[in-house]
Amino acid sequence: MKYAVSHLTTLRYAEPVRMAQFAVRLRPARWPGQHVRDYEFTVDPRPVAILEGEGGYFINESKFELREPISQLTVNSRFVVDREPLPASVTTGFGPCLADLRELAMSRPDLSPLGPASYIFASPIARPEREIAMWAAEFLDAAMPVMDAGRALMRAVGERFAYDNSATYPDTQPIEAFNSRRGVCQDFAHVMIVAARAHGIPAGYVSGYLRTQAPPGQERLVGADAMHAWVCLWCGDALGWVGFDPTNDMLADAEHIFIGMGRDYSDVAPFDGRFHGNAQQTMLFSVDVAPLD
Amino acid sequence: MGYSAHTETPAAARNWLDDYAAPAGTGDLYRDASPAVAAKWRGIAAALDALAGGEPAGLEETTARHIADLGLTFRVTGEDDERNWPMTSMPVIIGADEWQGIERGLVQRARLLEALAADIYGPQRLVEQGHLPAAVVAGSPYFARKMLGHGPKSGHFIHVYAADLARGPQGGWRVLQDRVRLATGIGYALENRLAMSRTADALLSQYHVRRMANFFSRLREGIATDCRREQPRIALLTPGRFNQTYAEQAHLARYLGLPLVEGRDLSVVEEKLYVGTIAGPKRVDALWRWVNTNALDPLSFDSRSQLGVANLFDAWAAGGLEMVNWPGVEVLESPAFSAFLPRLCRILLGEAPLLPTVATWWCGQAAEASTVEQRFDTLALLPAFGEPVDVLDRIAPVAGASFDPARRAALSDAIARRPMDYCGQEIVQLSTSPTMIEGHMVPRPFTLRLFVARTEDGDWCVMPGGFARLSIGDELPTSLMGEGDLSADVWVVDEATPAKVAPGTQRHEPPISRGAGILAGQAADNLFWFGRYNERAELTVRIVRSILGSSIEMDAIHADKDEVRRTLVDLLRSWDAIGPETVREPYPVICGKALSEDLNQGGVATLLRRRFEVGLGMRERFSRDLWRIVSRPMPTIEIARPVSMLSNTRWLTEHFSALAGLASENMVRGSAWRFLEIGKRMERAIGTTRIARRLLDVEANFEALGTLLDLCDSQIIYRARYLAGPMRNPVIDLVLLDPANPRALAFQVATIVEQLAGLPTIREDGLPEEPLRQARTLRAVLEEARADEVEWSWLDRIEARLLALSEEISTRYFLQFERDDALRRSLLG
Repeated sequence: MKYAVSHLTTLRYAEPVRMAQFAVRLRPARWPGQHVRDYEFTVDPRPVAILEGEGGYFINESKFELREPISQLTVNSRFVVDREPLPASVTTGFGPCLADLRELAMSRPDLSPLGPASYIFASPIARPEREIAMWAAEFLDAAMPVMDAGRALMRAVGERFAYDNSATYPDTQPIEAFNSRRGVCQDFAHVMIVAARAHGIPAGYVSGYLRTQAPPGQERLVGADAMHAWVCLWCGDALGWVGFDPTNDMLADAEHIFIGMGRDYSDVAPFDGRFHGNAQQTMLFSVDVAPLD
Repeated sequence: MGYSAHTETPAAARNWLDDYAAPAGTGDLYRDASPAVAAKWRGIAAALDALAGGEPAGLEETTARHIADLGLTFRVTGEDDERNWPMTSMPVIIGADEWQGIERGLVQRARLLEALAADIYGPQRLVEQGHLPAAVVAGSPYFARKMLGHGPKSGHFIHVYAADLARGPQGGWRVLQDRVRLATGIGYALENRLAMSRTADALLSQYHVRRMANFFSRLREGIATDCRREQPRIALLTPGRFNQTYAEQAHLARYLGLPLVEGRDLSVVEEKLYVGTIAGPKRVDALWRWVNTNALDPLSFDSRSQLGVANLFDAWAAGGLEMVNWPGVEVLESPAFSAFLPRLCRILLGEAPLLPTVATWWCGQAAEASTVEQRFDTLALLPAFGEPVDVLDRIAPVAGASFDPARRAALSDAIARRPMDYCGQEIVQLSTSPTMIEGHMVPRPFTLRLFVARTEDGDWCVMPGGFARLSIGDELPTSLMGEGDLSADVWVVDEATPAKVAPGTQRHEPPISRGAGILAGQAADNLFWFGRYNERAELTVRIVRSILGSSIEMDAIHADKDEVRRTLVDLLRSWDAIGPETVREPYPVICGKALSEDLNQGGVATLLRRRFEVGLGMRERFSRDLWRIVSRPMPTIEIARPVSMLSNTRWLTEHFSALAGLASENMVRGSAWRFLEIGKRMERAIGTTRIARRLLDVEANFEALGTLLDLCDSQIIYRARYLAGPMRNPVIDLVLLDPANPRALAFQVATIVEQLAGLPTIREDGLPEEPLRQARTLRAVLEEARADEVEWSWLDRIEARLLALSEEISTRYFLQFERDDALRRSLLG
């Protein structure tokens, strides 16, 4: 599937602010089965420079600052992406059992941003929670292949949690969403990450998009008019990282567009900024993911 | 205990150590000391005894007083209140031979940690070649992946290294923990020494105790050298005054002459770091950070951090900023790392470790995990990465034998699920050191925290001494000081005076300077508000005293006086010194609540607390005497006893005078002083204007004018000038317009003009800056005003101008950094 993605963000300040500094994480990182072209990133008013770099994890970062006072800022991120469907090796694969998977992950001499060792421990938001670990234990056992384990966790979250965008905030901790069994994609992803790591499965948080219009005859997917989040589990050397979308109870496939992966939301937050001044800020955004064929 | 000890101190008929009974086989520091060192123990004990005049408690009191004078306090984790620093006078004494072994071991360890950091954040050969599991690095909450490939230009990851050491029953030393994130305790070690040298300076020389001053100047020079710039500016980055060890950071900054800055004082422009000062931005070359890597830069690391500086990462990555220590080195502190250090030492340095590490098994490896399982009852268990994990909710090692069957089963289950989160560790037995407890020398288990600094030639230098912690039990320390612990100075004693380095002298004499250093916008803000809170509190006390005084007097029922009192009560209410429900209470209750109730923003108790809080952030600028007055608690207010409350107000008035006197006599007339003055004058100007406006409105003119004179402390001058009782225009002239009366409004404004004019300007065109221009205009208005023109609306306009001026001063001098909260609102579906 080919899509044109457009993500327009507008920030307005009640009074002019100066020395506004931003880190934006919207340029898709290179990901298997996904080809990005014609990437455009524009900021208005134009900053002196936009520095393109990489974040600490598997995420791109565009940094810029506006030294002169501004009262409005628009950021436009656009690209065309070709997304291949998941290969059968993944959709029908099993991967190692959990006990072996953990040993494998621990023994890989790999500290790179995709090395499994970096995704198996607690992270700033995805802290270990005994309750979540115990809850997840109902669906898992050490002899289970990791793909089955991932599907079981994904289904458990998808079926037992209610989608409710008034129940949580960006700062909501996984355990709060878990206790209320409500939340949005971010919360579901975090809960699943905490559950997976509790049982030794390396789990990453993926920031991305979903196609906006549903294919004919199908329902529109939840979260399509905004950014989306799901989970990648490391499923052994052969399968590598596989995306599980607990919000929609499906593997991340040709409708999921990958931007980047970190340990949790804090590593891949799309917008971070600081400014000098004392002004109320409002943020508007529109996301459009239009199929091209 | 050798005979030689007795023969060397024949004068001491009795020695504290005579009846010291350390059980054999526990490796007591005194009992096991060589005859020469034991003699020093006895000599020092005897000398301290002599100083104490045979009364050990007296000596402890003297030391405690020195500690209090030094202003040293600390906070126990989870507590808000600062506590006095618990220190005992008997030092922990270590002979030069034994010390040499420690010293060599620590220097080797510093080299090892440096080499490790360089590999982890550089080529990662250790991981690649399988010497170090990737998970031992990635498991640390402090692993800063973003730092990969961004090593320091100086090549020095570590400038300051601290280690906790334990001495075993056989007298062998081992390292319990490495600290490269924060050298917590270094300031306390310094303060303990300062306190001891006040108590017993002669002893330090007499017993050839190694001095510390040189260590600190070398540490500072080591940082300065790596800045590669003449006269570099090194700042100490603090998380702020509410941090647990803020007092330590403030002392250290003061001792080393480093500006103490917070993240909000700093900004990065074109990959260089600047501190916002009242004289514009100033370049910073190095930061000694007391902030975790994760919190250093909200745009590069944890965006929730309010302690950091946006794009600080860019400044150090571009080479324009030296960091002490380099961000990310914290990764080396994990207990899991300890398991690998002995081997890594051989691999990286080609040497056997000189100082053993407490034996550790990381369960992330199958063989080690089964060792821990088999030896569970003889080992201690702890989280592998210094953060609580399932079942082990504290980071301190817990003896396996102490687990009940249910907890043990839970732990086994947790280890089976996530073995990499756990370590087993040998149970360390601590040897003891003689400690003065209630007049007797008692053996107490101890640990040392020692410090190593990189010097100007890139080499390492161990602080000759350190920080000893004497504990009641055998439990290993996890924080600097625990409940019931005592600290002691550590004395490294030589046989004779070593090659002379004059204590406290720097190697190079610095150029003479009269500047008080930079004044960060944040500090100026604090000083300004310190002045304002203090003055408002003083004014409120004066009003309370006036109400209280007149209501105690015989003619308290006099109607005129009552109208004045009501007016004053309304005034108290208007600046929120009392709550709305209090207004109708009897006068003594109103007064008592205005003094002691801390529910209201303008109450005296609240104002003094605020003053203390902003003062905390500037402690290093105040003299110790001044700070002692500031931190003195309020007297207890007994609302039921108006007479006693009246004497409370007198106490408070004297408190304010003492403070004003000390500030005026002891503070250098630099920018810091000016902001303190401006705050005070601003508040007094606003207060006087408000009081005058209300009292001039009272119909009982005579009483009201008298009270106005009273509140402005101008009764005496008035009587000297005028024979008649208080009359409207003369009173107005005296309390509002007379520039020679230090209590008058005109005097306050003139002082503000004078202080503003003395501040550095950032305008290049020579024109006055906006606050000064406004202040001058206001001064002119007051200069040309006549007493008969002064009425309600005139005063109203003056007040509005004062408030505008205050606002203008904030805008110009105090930086305003806002956290971009709205950006954190989710974009997610």
